Amino acid sequence: MSDYILELNNITKNFPGVKALDNANFRLKKKSIHALLGENGAGKSTLIKIITGVYNQNEGKLFLNNQEKSFSSPNEAMNAGISVVHQERNLIRRFSVGENLMLTNLPKNNLGLIDYNTVAKESKKWLDIMELDIDPNTIVSDLTVAKMQLCEIAKALSLESKILLLDEPTSSLSPQDTKNLFALLKRLVAEQDVSIVFVSHKLEEVFEICDEVTVLRDGKNACESEQITNLDRQKLVKLMIGRDEQIIKSKKNIDFTEENLLDLQSINTDLGHKNINLNLKKGEILGLYGLVGAGRTELIKCVLGLDKINSGQILLNNKEIKIKSPKDALEKYKIGYISEDRKKEGLILMHDVLSNAGITVWSNLKKILSFLNDSIVYNKVDPYVKQLEVKTPSYQQIVSNLSGGNQQKISVAKWLASGTDILFIDEPTVGIDIKTKSYLHELIIELSLKGTSIILITSDMPEMISLADRIITMKDFKVVGETINNHNYEEMSSSIMGNIHE
Amino acid sequence: MSALLKKDWFGLGLVLIFGSILISLFKPAFISPFNLYVLMLSVSLMLVVAMSQMIIIAIGQMNLSVGAIGGLVAISFTGLMEVYSMSILPAVLIGLLIGLACGFINGYITVKTGISAFIITLATLYIFKGMNLGITEAQPFYEIPEAVKFFGNAKIFGPIPYLVIIPIIITVLMWILMNRTSLGRYMLAYGNNVQSSELIGISSTKIVIYAHVISGLLAAIGGMLVVCRLQLGTPNIGDSWLLPSFAAPVIGGAILAGGKVDVIATAFGVILVSIISQALVIFKIDPFFVQIFLGFMILLAVFINRYREYREERRTKVFSDE
Repeated sequence: MSDYILELNNITKNFPGVKALDNANFRLKKKSIHALLGENGAGKSTLIKIITGVYNQNEGKLFLNNQEKSFSSPNEAMNAGISVVHQERNLIRRFSVGENLMLTNLPKNNLGLIDYNTVAKESKKWLDIMELDIDPNTIVSDLTVAKMQLCEIAKALSLESKILLLDEPTSSLSPQDTKNLFALLKRLVAEQDVSIVFVSHKLEEVFEICDEVTVLRDGKNACESEQITNLDRQKLVKLMIGRDEQIIKSKKNIDFTEENLLDLQSINTDLGHKNINLNLKKGEILGLYGLVGAGRTELIKCVLGLDKINSGQILLNNKEIKIKSPKDALEKYKIGYISEDRKKEGLILMHDVLSNAGITVWSNLKKILSFLNDSIVYNKVDPYVKQLEVKTPSYQQIVSNLSGGNQQKISVAKWLASGTDILFIDEPTVGIDIKTKSYLHELIIELSLKGTSIILITSDMPEMISLADRIITMKDFKVVGETINNHNYEEMSSSIMGNIHE
Repeated sequence: MSALLKKDWFGLGLVLIFGSILISLFKPAFISPFNLYVLMLSVSLMLVVAMSQMIIIAIGQMNLSVGAIGGLVAISFTGLMEVYSMSILPAVLIGLLIGLACGFINGYITVKTGISAFIITLATLYIFKGMNLGITEAQPFYEIPEAVKFFGNAKIFGPIPYLVIIPIIITVLMWILMNRTSLGRYMLAYGNNVQSSELIGISSTKIVIYAHVISGLLAAIGGMLVVCRLQLGTPNIGDSWLLPSFAAPVIGGAILAGGKVDVIATAFGVILVSIISQALVIFKIDPFFVQIFLGFMILLAVFINRYREYREERRTKVFSDE
């Protein structure tokens, strides 16, 4: 009798042309939080999909409570007590929280009709266990993203799940929500007899809450069930990428007395921004820091004409401009926008790699030639796609079939190819592995050295401090601080957090 | 009060009440017993047709063959009674069975092929309509039993026709189905989010087939009610159902992507469309304007829905964390 609740032994999974997993092992101890780490394409998602019944392995065995199992559907895995917690995806948004929790087993009255009083009462139990102060009658779409995620966990508990898989659970949570989530997870493990598999690219989080770590690299175990206390950040990164992490720092001297390239003066917007003053120098990387909901992305969208600016001016080279749309911004003023939400805004998922990467150069090239052929677009785009190491079988690959990280790379590549003067970059490295992250960082710095001015939005403090020349802090749709970056992490982070919590 | 305002049926109900008062102030003939009788007849028939479409909208699909099923059942029902001298009850049962079969075919093909119901029901529309024309050779059946004629035209008391009974029962049953049974909730869950409803073990096959079967049954009932009303079975019954079948649910706040329908608001939508059609007649406006009006009503309803969604999205986006 071992004390493992879940064991995967010598798992191999082949896809046409790729060995996604090669003799990989994974062992989850009862009542522990186990980190599953690896770069994009290392086989993490494949392993998770085998655990949750989406895929079946070609070789190897899966044991649940020492019994060999094989799941033919996610529903079977769920009935066996294995739940994946997504960020909101598994809830029925127009139903109440209570109905969502009880959906598989809706309580009925004598007539066989659903009894919503009992639904509320029964579901309240699970919310109470999680110490969640949510009325079970609240409609899910009225909740914040953080609360939706907690409801997902409550739902998993109500299904008597003993194993929770959390895939990048904090990627859209504020630091406070993240702290609450971690406290809850620790309590669940201690009190509810639950074991947790935790997947994240944020290593700080792994050190904060995990007991053991399994790292995958190229489908094989780089380490297996290692105690977290035996590792440090450097060792972990080396396990993941197979070499030491390179810390990149922007070393530039921006002359802040120089003329402003872009200047926002007393901007008030329809979305609630109050008196925003902000300027950008040539070749500068200006960081916009703030918690989620501080209004940073919304500000950029107003500047690009997607939402209304009520008063104030935008000056480009000291001349007032009015931007009507992102297309206007790109074609008239050479201002580009790399979106944070690549699925919704950044890429046309049904199109192939080449047309996505080339989309921004079309209008430029058209002027010269009045027609386009693939080879012209190819020549423009290819160097960037190569530089970013986009893993695609060919340029004719449909983008939605690529992994998330590779999609992000393409959405960056298309802007690099477009030759803009000003680039707004929004959360460029969310969900991206460490190796690609440092390539992207190098590219952003290189771009600014060549004279492109960049406004960078990121909630990743180390990223902000290594890239930005100057950091503007925003809170509640206002600018609350401005600091010239000296790239000293301790000093800068305490100064920025000071601005936020003043 | 604010909870009431959020309900789709509430605003529509207000529009109905004030609209009716306004029309009857200008034209007292609007509330004459005869006019109310005609109004109730038209509401009764369209109510069943609207419910038949609404349940398919609930699962995020469309049924273009609603009218074709209604027509096929109508001529089968009358044909059985005229040509084979069948008595009413077995003819009704066979009519229901045909509707059920048509719905099953729609649902089964849709779920097994994964092709959109729009395409499948476009094809079956022609198949069912073709069978209708093949059977009738485009000739109506006139020999309808007196009891059927009576049911379609007599009044219970005052201006209230017998014909309203079945549609009212159907509306109540539909409300219970969509709000108080697992099947109905699972249909809405499926319409909201196919993946997550499959994950918790809701069977897509079952949901889609049930929805189409119920839709087929309701279309069949609609077809037979029209026979009662017209006192004959003509092959063109159902030809004009398509537009109003979508109009009422959409005016009632249904989202065509699925997952949101409101039975009461759909019923109000039917009444609204009927009142407007009739008001235009009373005000002696060219009947062609009814269609134009209906078109604008649908546009308006879609705009209101879109605006609500936009508000909702923006709220969750801007205040996603604080």
